[in-house]
Amino acid sequence: MKILAVDDDPIILELLGEFILMLGDHELTMAESALDAIEVLRSPDSPRFDCLLIDIQMPGMDGIELTRTLRETKRFAETPILMLTAMTEKRYVDRAFAAGATDYVTKPFDIEELSERIANVEAQVEARRARTGKVFAANAVAEQAQAIALYEPLVIQEVDNVIEYLAMENYIAQLSRSALFGSTTFAFTVREIESFHDRLSAFEFHSLVSDVAEVISDTLAGHQFLMSYAGNGTYVCVTESGWRPDPDQLKDAVNLALKRSELYDNQGHRLEPQVCAGEAVRLIWKSGNSVMDALASAHASAEAACAAFEKSKYDLWTAGQTA
Amino acid sequence: MDGRTDGVKDMAVQLPGMARVRARFIEMLIPRHDQIAENALAAWDGESVDEITGNLSSAQRVLHQIAGTAGSLGFPDLGAKASACENEIIAHLQGPDADLAICPFEVIQNIDLFLRDCRDIIEEQA
Repeated sequence: MKILAVDDDPIILELLGEFILMLGDHELTMAESALDAIEVLRSPDSPRFDCLLIDIQMPGMDGIELTRTLRETKRFAETPILMLTAMTEKRYVDRAFAAGATDYVTKPFDIEELSERIANVEAQVEARRARTGKVFAANAVAEQAQAIALYEPLVIQEVDNVIEYLAMENYIAQLSRSALFGSTTFAFTVREIESFHDRLSAFEFHSLVSDVAEVISDTLAGHQFLMSYAGNGTYVCVTESGWRPDPDQLKDAVNLALKRSELYDNQGHRLEPQVCAGEAVRLIWKSGNSVMDALASAHASAEAACAAFEKSKYDLWTAGQTA
Repeated sequence: MDGRTDGVKDMAVQLPGMARVRARFIEMLIPRHDQIAENALAAWDGESVDEITGNLSSAQRVLHQIAGTAGSLGFPDLGAKASACENEIIAHLQGPDADLAICPFEVIQNIDLFLRDCRDIIEEQA
């Protein structure tokens, strides 16, 4: 991989030089500040970087601001970004994820941890290359609608606190390494998502998913949370602020906001998505895989709520009928 | 070299280029030591809030850099002490006394102990 490391400490850059060299056939470019990094990235001579390693605390523009700036550009919208952070900077980690970080590595470096994170990124880069190849192939032979699978987690850009699903998994993993006392996960699922997926083009479907994300994000504004689109119409949310969300109340607020927002497809037909909410699952006293299980449980609970809603509609018409 | 922990997996020994990075770290530890000492003294003698918080913040930035690398280079104790001093400064700067012209004695005392460790390492490696 081609990697750009940004850190104001030359010792960190030299250490990374040694570690990256040991981890495999990677090419490392170094920058000593955010502005240096921007200059390197803008240079026509610079390679197309597969991964960025960015220190959080730097004088001038810090790593979080640099990440946010890069995420606003098309070229780096999806490039994996690993934040370099000291354990004392836990308070910055949430902001880093919200700004678009994919994962983080703690300083001082543990070679096993660094190796694992770089391997994860490498796998992600390979998967993305494969998927991009498929998309190009699909575009050549069929309408782009075929390119988005119903169950595929989608990257949603420029919506506050919405992060990539892989970053969400990394965020949850880092939560499991720290306090989980005030953490809760919950999810929303768009009703009849299959129907939207079947009749909309890929662009329209992606727009719908983004618009619903924006409505949910606006509804949750004022609370500390991160959210991700996990595929199949489901948005998973995590808060670690001690806030105890009431999913039913939130569902009503989201649905009211969706009713008020005017969403249309490309033919001018109004789209009226509504969501169901699952149960809020507290993460307290969970660790490792059980934290991931809690996320899956919140996800499944929202989808089950949707299925129950659909069934209740059917039951309403059949109630009282006898064979 | 101070005591190592299993967490850093003795990377200083594992990697061929690490001796060079260690040497650079020690070389940079000298001006970093002087910088922290200068900031700590100025904070202790400071009479205004800005003077105290400004100097403590500067010392914190340098401590942060040492905390981030010392452990990977075979100096985990030094890194842990730098981190502890950094946390003490952060706690003061975010605490209820941050807007008073007070420089806590414990902060300066721990920085003093940290600087003594820095000097020991610099002398050992000379």
